[in-house]
Amino acid sequence: MLVAPRLLMLWAGIQLSIVLLLQQAFALWITALFILLMLYKITATWQGKATLSLKLVNLLAAAIALALIVNIRQAGVLHFMLQILLLAASCRLLALKHSADARQLVWVHYFLIASCFVIHQDMFTALLIFTVFTLNLYSHFRLFAPPRLHISWRQTSRSILIVLPLWLAMFTLFPRLPPFWQIPNAKVASTGLSDTLDPGSIEQLVKDDSLAFRVEFNGELPTRTQLYWRAYLYEDFNGRSWQVNPLRQHRSQLNKALPQNASGIGLQYRVIAEASQQHNLFALMLPTTVSNEVYIASAGLIKSNKPVSQRTSYQVTSINAPVTWSGNTETDINLQLGVGNAKTQVFAKQLAEQYPSPPQLVQAIATHFNQQHYFYSLTPPPLGNNSVDSFMFDSRTGFCSHYASAAALILRAAGIPARVVGGYQGGDWHPQQGYLAVRQREAHAWVEYLDNEQWQLFDPTAAVAPERILNSLESALTAEQRQLLFSGWAQFELLQSIRLQLMHLDYYWSVWVLGFNDNSQQTLWRNLRQYFTTILSVLAILVGITLLLFGLFFWQRRPTNLAPEAAVLVQHKLGKLLQAKAPEQTLSAFIQQLALQQPVHQHWLLLLAKTYEQAVFKNEAEALKRLQQLLKRHSKELRALRRGCIKNA
Amino acid sequence: MFNLKQRLYPLYWRLLTRYLNKRQPAASQVSLTQKLIFILPTRYGWWFLLLIVLLYLLGTNYQNNLILLLSYLLLSLFLFSIALSYQNISGLTIQAQKPAESFAGEYVKTQLSLSSQKQHKMLQFNLVQHNELIEQPELKHNVSFNLAVTQRGKYQLPRVKISSQYPFGLWRVWSYIAIEQIYWVYPAPADHVAANSSAADNDATQCIQPSGDSLAAYQAGDSIRHIVWKRLARDPANPVVRQQLIAPKAEPSWVVVPKLTGDALERALRQACQQLLALEKSGTRYGLKLPNLTLAQAVGPLHLQRCLQALALC
Repeated sequence: MLVAPRLLMLWAGIQLSIVLLLQQAFALWITALFILLMLYKITATWQGKATLSLKLVNLLAAAIALALIVNIRQAGVLHFMLQILLLAASCRLLALKHSADARQLVWVHYFLIASCFVIHQDMFTALLIFTVFTLNLYSHFRLFAPPRLHISWRQTSRSILIVLPLWLAMFTLFPRLPPFWQIPNAKVASTGLSDTLDPGSIEQLVKDDSLAFRVEFNGELPTRTQLYWRAYLYEDFNGRSWQVNPLRQHRSQLNKALPQNASGIGLQYRVIAEASQQHNLFALMLPTTVSNEVYIASAGLIKSNKPVSQRTSYQVTSINAPVTWSGNTETDINLQLGVGNAKTQVFAKQLAEQYPSPPQLVQAIATHFNQQHYFYSLTPPPLGNNSVDSFMFDSRTGFCSHYASAAALILRAAGIPARVVGGYQGGDWHPQQGYLAVRQREAHAWVEYLDNEQWQLFDPTAAVAPERILNSLESALTAEQRQLLFSGWAQFELLQSIRLQLMHLDYYWSVWVLGFNDNSQQTLWRNLRQYFTTILSVLAILVGITLLLFGLFFWQRRPTNLAPEAAVLVQHKLGKLLQAKAPEQTLSAFIQQLALQQPVHQHWLLLLAKTYEQAVFKNEAEALKRLQQLLKRHSKELRALRRGCIKNA
Repeated sequence: MFNLKQRLYPLYWRLLTRYLNKRQPAASQVSLTQKLIFILPTRYGWWFLLLIVLLYLLGTNYQNNLILLLSYLLLSLFLFSIALSYQNISGLTIQAQKPAESFAGEYVKTQLSLSSQKQHKMLQFNLVQHNELIEQPELKHNVSFNLAVTQRGKYQLPRVKISSQYPFGLWRVWSYIAIEQIYWVYPAPADHVAANSSAADNDATQCIQPSGDSLAAYQAGDSIRHIVWKRLARDPANPVVRQQLIAPKAEPSWVVVPKLTGDALERALRQACQQLLALEKSGTRYGLKLPNLTLAQAVGPLHLQRCLQALALC
């Protein structure tokens, strides 16, 4: 059977949307190539051209496959697989003629549509992908349905009503398994902070309004000044930019910063991190326990075992204590001064002579930034190689990273181990939904210095722009600079509020759908078991009501029985015997016939027929009574007759 | 492998037939109920199941709930389509129609009537161990099969296989229905003798022509009385019989089949068939005399049918 052009168009459309959805995973030329193929197919179908010959399509496929194989290094295994599948699907579509071949096409489409979820998990794209899935399902149905069938909406909605609970019950109740084996990861550009902190990198980051992570607190929300989300430690300084020390990359080294006596009440919270393609995750203060998906790395950082390629949630307990010192290696690393910045070092030495104890020195640095003419700006002038010197003594204008790197260098020059911490500060609290949204805008850098074998937190930005810490970044900036943050669309209030509502919706989506794991499943089961009797009784009541309604419905619809009472009575008593009765035969004639066949019972059967006639035709109450008596008297014989009838049959 | 399959198939079919005969003896009207319907995944259904498993693995390995959701959605569709495909075939009622008839060597067209309260889509009908496949995207009022027939007789229609893959091609629902549908195969009319003896047209010429021409080689079943003994003495290896092309001169408009066996009987029956047809066409009254049955003289299609049926059973 030839395929209808409408279906061909539909498949081309499905493939086109798959290409666009997977476009993030493909190199530009591959995307362009696939789009070209699809557009060709659409126009060719539109103009009613003949399909390409199989030979030509095979040649084309071989050429493209070769190009893809050459590109495999760049693409990675997963993407290569997706590309090959898509290539197979599009070439199949190009050469498609008969509907029998289309089954394989539909099959591959299902797989490709599902793979889109590896890359996209946000609600709207997910809805889009489900729409594409529905279209594919429709084409699947079309393959096996009569050619000119109109889809009945009643039947479709009935099917949906049945499939939906089945589906959700499977999803929620089927056991969850851990991953079976290591899988190749999607190669996508990482977002958020990185291993290197240049002067200027955070300024770029805060212009991004996208979400970094969300947090739910089990207890009370900590105060805003406590919300320092640590993600990166920058300990290597080269005179201009800061980098993560290579020793921190390894899991074993510089380890166990856990305090011996972890005192204080733990703060419990759950973080739902967006995909960042990075290992580093976020925690407050000193984390003591985390859930399975992640681990506590050195210096109280939290990392995941593999790059966060999709929304991940994890549970953390933190105590309100400084991070502990792990040994002399750490001290040595955090005293390195890098090259250059001589003026700052001289300044630091002077300051250290004045204020010998570390807390005093830190206070002095804060005062210096506060009292002198330093400015907090989203657009600081570019700095040279001696970045700290030129910031401290020339431009005096900087963003959080400038203040943090200057403060850390001053402390180091004064002989106090210090490092820059990268992460996020603050977040938007949504009381109704009960979560804290932390965006890339909240990216921040501050300082930790060693005092009393503990790493104390010091935020020089708080000295120069306290609004940034106490309120938000927007309030710390001038109106002119705020314009830079909210460009274009974001300025309209209505759109902002819609966006906010959508974000809330997306939050529930991530908590209920994406975040559903074996824990939630166990809780669900526990709840089910706990409320077993309640659920059962509710179900029983529901079923009872439904039955009652049905019964009422049928009772009302029941055809009013016009047969006289006597007929009903006799019919009931005769039961199975009536099967032998011809439809046109009257009941009394049948009984008479029965009497002829059964000489033993002849007498009373004839009497029965007579009494029955009297009861029916004379409509006598007395005859009815006599009939009842007669039937009662001979009930044993009747039973024997019935049994005989069954045996004969 | 193929050979084994070929050899096992009759055995399988024999066992299946025994089972089916017990489960559903032939009846003149059959409604498809749960008892008679079989459901198994199609090849595409197995592929679909593989897809579900693959997606489950993908979703589990990536710990990706959305892929798992999709995989469960496909699974629930897969399971639900069992009910859908069952519904598509159940409730169909097949009823036998009046017996079909045909001459040996031709095709007999048997018809069954279909009725139902519901809609049935994409039904396929075929007779078991026959190739002809009849597809009905929408249910029609009846379905007819063309069967090639060679042997005269009265036959019962083989089991009808009704199957469907609607709606998603994932499950094949089917049923083997035994229906009391009879078809008659009459002996093929012997065309070549028609010119030789226009028996019905004039009675006078209806006699044996005792010429030596009508000698023929002996065949199994020929009466010993017709053997030409003189020739047999000369050539014992090739016995020859004197052939009786036409029944011995009988009453006018009687078609007579003498008591024969084997091929001779078949030949005689073919001739008788031819005569009957010719007589019916000419409109004269005629009767049929068989060795163990005599049908009185009459005329009309019903009489012809009765005569032909007697020939088929002879």
